[in-house]
Amino acid sequence: MMEWVSLLLDAMWAAIPAVGFGMIFNVPRSALPLCALGGALTYGLREVLLHHHFSIELSTFIAATAIGIIGVFWSRRYVMPRPVYTVPSIIPMIPGTYAYEMMISLVSMNTDGVTDALLSSFIENGLHAVSILFAIAFGLVLPSMYYTKRKQPII
Amino acid sequence: MILPIERKKGFPTISKEEQTRITTVVVRVAAMLLEYGAESRLIEQLSSRLGVALGCTSIEISLIPSAIVLTTLIGDSSVTTTRRAHEQPINMSIVHQIVAICIAAEQNPRNIMMVERSLANIHANPYPTWLIVPIIGLSCAAFSHLQGADWPGFWITFLAASVGMMVRRALSSRNYSLLIVFAFTAFVCTLIGSLAFYHDLSSTGRIVLSSSVLLLVPGFPYINSMLDAFKGYISMGWGRWTQATLLTLMSSLGIMLAMGLLDIKGW
Repeated sequence: MMEWVSLLLDAMWAAIPAVGFGMIFNVPRSALPLCALGGALTYGLREVLLHHHFSIELSTFIAATAIGIIGVFWSRRYVMPRPVYTVPSIIPMIPGTYAYEMMISLVSMNTDGVTDALLSSFIENGLHAVSILFAIAFGLVLPSMYYTKRKQPII
Repeated sequence: MILPIERKKGFPTISKEEQTRITTVVVRVAAMLLEYGAESRLIEQLSSRLGVALGCTSIEISLIPSAIVLTTLIGDSSVTTTRRAHEQPINMSIVHQIVAICIAAEQNPRNIMMVERSLANIHANPYPTWLIVPIIGLSCAAFSHLQGADWPGFWITFLAASVGMMVRRALSSRNYSLLIVFAFTAFVCTLIGSLAFYHDLSSTGRIVLSSSVLLLVPGFPYINSMLDAFKGYISMGWGRWTQATLLTLMSSLGIMLAMGLLDIKGW
């Protein structure tokens, strides 16, 4: 029971960055609630998958694919291009901490000399950051690849 | 003015002047979509749909990241034009309005007056600074909370990201290059975020530093580059990928400068 409450709370926290980045990208006002919902959904889904011991890349990929498919339905219904919803929704999953740690270890390798610990931290964090980024992008591309096969445009 | 509808088979009834006018409208739509951050497939689809709705036989389009070449074909006569795309901040509101205009044009075919009038009425619809600054601060603070920062860290992230957003808006409105804006914003964010190490205000300083620069994530260029590359617009994908990578590198440069200045031992 407590797990569900904390999951819901985390999802609500994740909705805030989705709205904030929606504002940076200047999405229409009517799309902001959907961005919030999308951000909460993707983050919540990823947390559930992580809880069931999926790897972080795989759970990110599944969550991004889910918002890609939902985005197709929303864009038909509200007549908007899909990136309006999908890009703000995946923002909470951006691997910021991994990328930052990677950069830090790179800088300290330059100043303090290369050690095994720094090198492994650089490679591990860098691989995580890059593979999560690719998982997000590929997850978003997959649904629209399916619709590219048909000649009919989505909206 | 509604253009005459009756067309003999295979013979265009649209004069060269009218075709030039149609071309101007269509290339304007395509250039706006490119400037404000639509993906290449959307640009090609929307401009060819608009062109057909205005009476063309077909539209051929060639895209590179900084320019657009567009040809309208009506029967045997063709008009070609080129436009330079200037760098603009991402604006999905404008993209949405253009989509709405194209759909309206398809429902009222060959009504070029209506399209021109609605194109002139497009508004950028920006969010006010007093709203966007605290919201971005709160977003980055929410990031830090999700990564497990403590409450002092939460508030420091809020402060750093809000000030960073103010700096970013101020620099953008003075028309500095986007690369300079990103580097300087990252510098300011890191300077303020490193308050977390001052007298050990927060025990999770590294999370604070990494989340306070997250407002600089180039989300749209990255996603657009992947979407373009996967859908067959390889050169556009590369161009946008380069742009996103450059922006990330410039933000890292700002972070490193600030760290070198303060000599933070965050690791």
